[in-house]
Amino acid sequence: MPTLSTGERVHVTKIVDRRTPAADVVVLGVRAPQLARFAKPGQFVMVVPPAGEVASVALGIYEAQGDRMSVLFFVSGKRTTELARLQEGDELTITGPLGNGFFLDDAPSEVGIVAGGVGVASVLTSAQELLKNGCRVQLYYGARTQERLVDMDLFARAGCEVHAATDDGSFGYRGVVTDLLARAARPPRLLLACGPSPMLRAVARVAAEIDIPAQLSLEETFACGVGGCWGCVVPIVRTSAQAPSFPPAVLGGSDVVNARVCKEGPVFWAHELRW
Amino acid sequence: MVTRMQPDLSVRIGKLDLAYPTLMGSGCYGSGAEFEPFVDLARIGGVVLKSVTRAPRLGNPTPRLVHTPAGMLNAIGLQNPGIAWYLAHDVAKFASRPCKVIGSVAGFSVDDYAVVCEQLAARDEIHAIELNISCPNVASEGETFACDPRLTARVVRAARATTGKTLIVKLSPNVTDIAAIAREAEAAGADALAVVNTVRGMAIDVDAWHPRLGNVTGGLSGPAIRPIAVLAVYEVARAVKIPIVGQGGIETVTDALEFFLAGASAISIGTANFTDPRVPETIVDGLSEYLARRKLASIRDIVGRANLGFANAYQFEGDEG
Repeated sequence: MPTLSTGERVHVTKIVDRRTPAADVVVLGVRAPQLARFAKPGQFVMVVPPAGEVASVALGIYEAQGDRMSVLFFVSGKRTTELARLQEGDELTITGPLGNGFFLDDAPSEVGIVAGGVGVASVLTSAQELLKNGCRVQLYYGARTQERLVDMDLFARAGCEVHAATDDGSFGYRGVVTDLLARAARPPRLLLACGPSPMLRAVARVAAEIDIPAQLSLEETFACGVGGCWGCVVPIVRTSAQAPSFPPAVLGGSDVVNARVCKEGPVFWAHELRW
Repeated sequence: MVTRMQPDLSVRIGKLDLAYPTLMGSGCYGSGAEFEPFVDLARIGGVVLKSVTRAPRLGNPTPRLVHTPAGMLNAIGLQNPGIAWYLAHDVAKFASRPCKVIGSVAGFSVDDYAVVCEQLAARDEIHAIELNISCPNVASEGETFACDPRLTARVVRAARATTGKTLIVKLSPNVTDIAAIAREAEAAGADALAVVNTVRGMAIDVDAWHPRLGNVTGGLSGPAIRPIAVLAVYEVARAVKIPIVGQGGIETVTDALEFFLAGASAISIGTANFTDPRVPETIVDGLSEYLARRKLASIRDIVGRANLGFANAYQFEGDEG
């Protein structure tokens, strides 16, 4: 197999650390030099499931540093329950890095990151990169309870200005995180968001209201994760740079085309989505 | 002096020579390029491309996928840019694949199939054609062809008239008598049969009181359907003399062997690529090892060996006398 400049390949890795920042939340760190080296903020991996399971698990790349990368996931089904059983020293086979990450090249000096629940798993490396480049980063972090505001201190220590919201009011603002964002005293000039679909739709709404661009990292059910099956699509405008190869709309035809979340995404510009 | 020979895994499907007896199933492997970073395409027999239709299709609404026990439901709905755009923008890229490239044609009328088949088969980048007459995920059409012996015959005859390239006809398991359909396809000029497409299925969201797929119904794939597919291959192999590409839930070399022994000359891997893209190479290695262990020279030596009353003359080529 040729050496790929993107590092894309199947990596047989070993788990080097495992922690549970909250009940039913697991961070698995693996030794994977190629992955760590080439991973871009907002990309994801597919984890080959334990024997007997049919579908691999798509997980955001949480941390990538030196020769180590990690994934963070909530234990919520059969496959994540199996993954949560793995311990240090166990093998984990990973395909990646996959997808386009967040588009950070021309980021403005003040960026807002909106993370909801497990969406936090896909935004840490973006925060780190933006801070390294001298940006100010405001984190809007929403979760059900204080306990589920996983690793909030990690973001604070990295230099983010953290605004938290919980559904039950056990920490920070009581309510949804996008309400907090809408009330920002000093709105950021760009939004990056990852979280459940209702939150992303709300981010798109707020972004339109305060007239700032927003990049949304979407979650869809994946089969292949590499663009082969067209199972995870989202409608976007045909004029988008992320539109797949497709003929222009015929007269009276639709102005949208279905793009693959795994391949053309998972990050899309909010104003280009027609969902 | 005994020379230890590497077992021969090459097979011939119609006029199509495959270095390995492994195809990647249509709709599961994109155009092959999507998987190139993760698997050595020179070590697979060929890629069956995603189906193309006469007109562009946006495909079905989401959700298009539901994971189910030992398998998954899909209802993609033949999203594709249409044959004109496909020929102009996409097909040239297939020339660089280090394996065989098989175009897949879908349609909604006999004429659709003939037109798309003719245009696609005319391209040098395309080594053979698979007729997808069994897509279960397009409203009221598509699978109709594979469920009706007379329609199967008509569509195969029409496509056959347009090309001399190998024509593989993909059959549906959602029929009462798959052997009868297979015979019609053979008589109408098919060079080979792909057995089988997905099994129709459904899943329901018990909180929302709504089907879980945007298309309501879908096609079930994965190991859940393997015994259904093995039986279909077994029955078709007793009914026709043309080679069979066996498919349906193949994940391991043992699974693949079941299909060969039932009467398939080659296999196709689909859903298993989603679990682990290394599966095609693992299966090829496993087949070599299995044949070597049994001192068999060729994969062709085991085709149909578990099929009593096997009618497929091709499979016994070189084995007679």
